[in-house]
Amino acid sequence: MARDLLADCSTALSNRVYKDRGSMKTAVVLISAIVAQALGDVLLTKGMKAIEALEANDAASSSFWQVWHICLQALQSPTVWLGTLLLIVFFALFSAALSWADLSFVLPATAFGYVLNVAAGFYFLSEKVSNRRWAGALIITLGVLCVSRSGVSTSKEQREELASGIVE
Amino acid sequence: MISALLILLVVLGGSAGDVFVTRGMKEIGEISTMNVRELARIFVRAITNRHFLTGVFFMAISYFSFLGALRLEDLSLVLPATSISFVITTVGARFFLKETISGIRWAGILLVCIGVALLSLPTQP
Repeated sequence: MARDLLADCSTALSNRVYKDRGSMKTAVVLISAIVAQALGDVLLTKGMKAIEALEANDAASSSFWQVWHICLQALQSPTVWLGTLLLIVFFALFSAALSWADLSFVLPATAFGYVLNVAAGFYFLSEKVSNRRWAGALIITLGVLCVSRSGVSTSKEQREELASGIVE
Repeated sequence: MISALLILLVVLGGSAGDVFVTRGMKEIGEISTMNVRELARIFVRAITNRHFLTGVFFMAISYFSFLGALRLEDLSLVLPATSISFVITTVGARFFLKETISGIRWAGILLVCIGVALLSLPTQP
């Protein structure tokens, strides 16, 4: 079954690529966006967790000063900066894809990032992943496959109409 | 009650943000250059585009509502609840952006929505 799915996926992909070159560009941009987001999330989490560990034995201070302290420390952490930078890269790529592709295509496609997160947690952080979470990852993958077969953009005329601002 | 309202803001703000950003980017037109100067010009056009900025504003509302919701509720409740935003955003794209959503695309979006909810539900029953 897995092999069928893989074959199905690769034919769908090659059909798309030959049908119009625009989908190749979309694939490259969206995959880069997803990787940037996953890495950014991991770095941001790592950076922020490191701060919490420092603050844990400082329970006497009020919550306002606690937050202030965390903010100051976050600004000094290269990990937090790098994570934030990667999330900005994600948003730039996501917006770029939206300049030619449908939102109803781009949004579910980027949901593949959830699957990447589960896989990364399993392989790199040796997290325990429950069967239900694996099932969730599988269902998302199927969903993204369905969406990827539906074409990148609805119609070219519509895009041009919006670009010239005559809608409504 | 307040947390329900905040989660609603997370979902609606996020969807409105995505729709407005898409609208703005479609107005700017397809990006098909790798030239740095050209890309810089597109960047300036984006951050001065009214719809794009409105989108970023809604995304900020969504993000701060998310932080607020996390103060009141567990992440394991907030995260699955926001998975419905895939459907809401698609409805927005259908009506405000006039995107055509085929059967297979709807099926895919529903699967993604269910999958995200399953993924983010708490591990302990």
